Amino acid sequence: MVARKKLGGALGEMFKTAMQRPVTESYPFGRKVVAERFRGRLDIDPVKCTGCSICEIVCPAGVITMVPVGMKTIGSRQVEVKRPSFELYTCISCGQCVDDCRFGALTLTHDFELAVFHKESLVMKKALVVDK
Amino acid sequence: MSDETGEERKEAGAGLMQYSPEGMMPFGPVHPSLKEPEYFKLILEGEKIVQVIPRIGYVHRGIERAAQERTWVKNIYLFERICGICSFAHSISYTQAVEAISPFEVPDRARYIRLVVAELERIHSHLLWLGLVGHWAGFDTLFMWVWKDREHVLDLEEEITGNRVHKSYSTFGGVRKDLPDNIGEKAKAELGYIEKRATYYKDLVQSEETLAVRTRGVGRITQETARKLSPVGPLLRCTGIGRDVRVEDPYAAYDEVRPEVQTSKDGDIASLLVLRLDEVLDSCRMVKEALEKIPAGPVKAAFPRTVHEGESSFHVEAPRGELFYFVKSAGGSVPERVKIRTPTMANLLTATEMLKGQTLADVPVVLTGMDPCFGCMDRVSVFDVAKSKGWSVSGEELREYGIEYYRRKRG
Ligand code: SF4
Ligand code: SF4
Repeated sequence: MVARKKLGGALGEMFKTAMQRPVTESYPFGRKVVAERFRGRLDIDPVKCTGCSICEIVCPAGVITMVPVGMKTIGSRQVEVKRPSFELYTCISCGQCVDDCRFGALTLTHDFELAVFHKESLVMKKALVVDK
Repeated sequence: MSDETGEERKEAGAGLMQYSPEGMMPFGPVHPSLKEPEYFKLILEGEKIVQVIPRIGYVHRGIERAAQERTWVKNIYLFERICGICSFAHSISYTQAVEAISPFEVPDRARYIRLVVAELERIHSHLLWLGLVGHWAGFDTLFMWVWKDREHVLDLEEEITGNRVHKSYSTFGGVRKDLPDNIGEKAKAELGYIEKRATYYKDLVQSEETLAVRTRGVGRITQETARKLSPVGPLLRCTGIGRDVRVEDPYAAYDEVRPEVQTSKDGDIASLLVLRLDEVLDSCRMVKEALEKIPAGPVKAAFPRTVHEGESSFHVEAPRGELFYFVKSAGGSVPERVKIRTPTMANLLTATEMLKGQTLADVPVVLTGMDPCFGCMDRVSVFDVAKSKGWSVSGEELREYGIEYYRRKRG
């Protein structure tokens, strides 16, 4: 008896949800709006980056490699200039590099579409420019 | 079984051997379709399960060893990935264990925020579980409704932490970001909705026949068994033993926003359903209370990159039960040793006890009922004592079989 009574409860709910519009989003036509803080694809501002290597040291996923891009004269010394190269296919979007970069060069964007045919297309080398 | 002597156990082992394993399906240690492989060998007499032999360790990835090579901070992200559903429980357990070595005072606001996110995680984990029990019991409508509602909590988590699953939010000395502005109102509205839904589900799971047939008296554990095998979390509380780390050894802000320990008596899957929904309701209350009481101030204090020599252990109440961390530091930039005990490890033997005496059709529901990370069912191999024959079934086949079995039984 109880069951029959309560089936009414479930049925009512069923009718209610059947009348509603679908809760699933029609991706990719209706884009998911992510939260303000969402951590997506990493991006770098090459102008702000000084090549300090902090991001390489703190990254837990081994995404970042510092690549020599040329030489620079500081006083009477010649020093190697390095810039970070990012293999974003191993990036876990944790944001530790963003937190630790003192020059504000790194940001996590809202882009979450990181599925690619060739992982090389997820290597970000745009910071590899020599200092002017 | 815990009350068996060594001799008896040997005999039981020999007994099993006499049913020659010919025809038993060999299972490779890695199965691509699984999220978390556990292997339960079921020995049957007809429909009834007489013996269960669990086997674990297939995805031993040496995380504890890997941790010894990575810096303290890098390990937060590593440990978080032990479990997706309780990722925040892992990160607060580890960060608090490391903070306890110093010892280090975390700002009050950060303690509250940790509580808020931990409770949101409990809500979403319990709702996920409820949906899965619905799915395995053949009540897919419930599964879809509950998972739809769970999205509200996940969105809230994304709003606060920046991610739905791997929150990467807790860090040494506090949390990485303050709560977003006006999260209080949004949380209140969303939690109000969840409360309404949880109350409805609580009513539904107690009266809906589909679920009642599949869960009442199924997978029962007595208080005695629970005392012997010491399960943790809801599995223990459903037998009426009200133990909860949040109350017994409060961490974060649990000493100021106190949880009410929920228990139920029957120790079966049906009582677990009600118990977990009660916990959802209590968590909603706690989050709201914490957001009201939360003090202003910083959310993070500067924490040194190296941890001085010492060791500590820390336990938190993860959604599935007590999660334990032991951390030892030799004073360097990496830990010397980290030992982790997850709740599923503690609950595994109880699950085998829950399975004994059940029918094959109940296996998916019982194994989901203990709330492992569920993929286990794909790995069940079946051994019929009477026919001396072994075969294997996939999770989906077993689910269909369970539904069909109960349909036939009801006529
Ligand atoms: S991105 Fe930031 S942390 Fe990394 S090298 Fe450039 S300045 Fe340094
Ligand atoms: S977001 Fe995390 S994983 Fe990705 S590059 Fe930065 S530190 Fe490495």
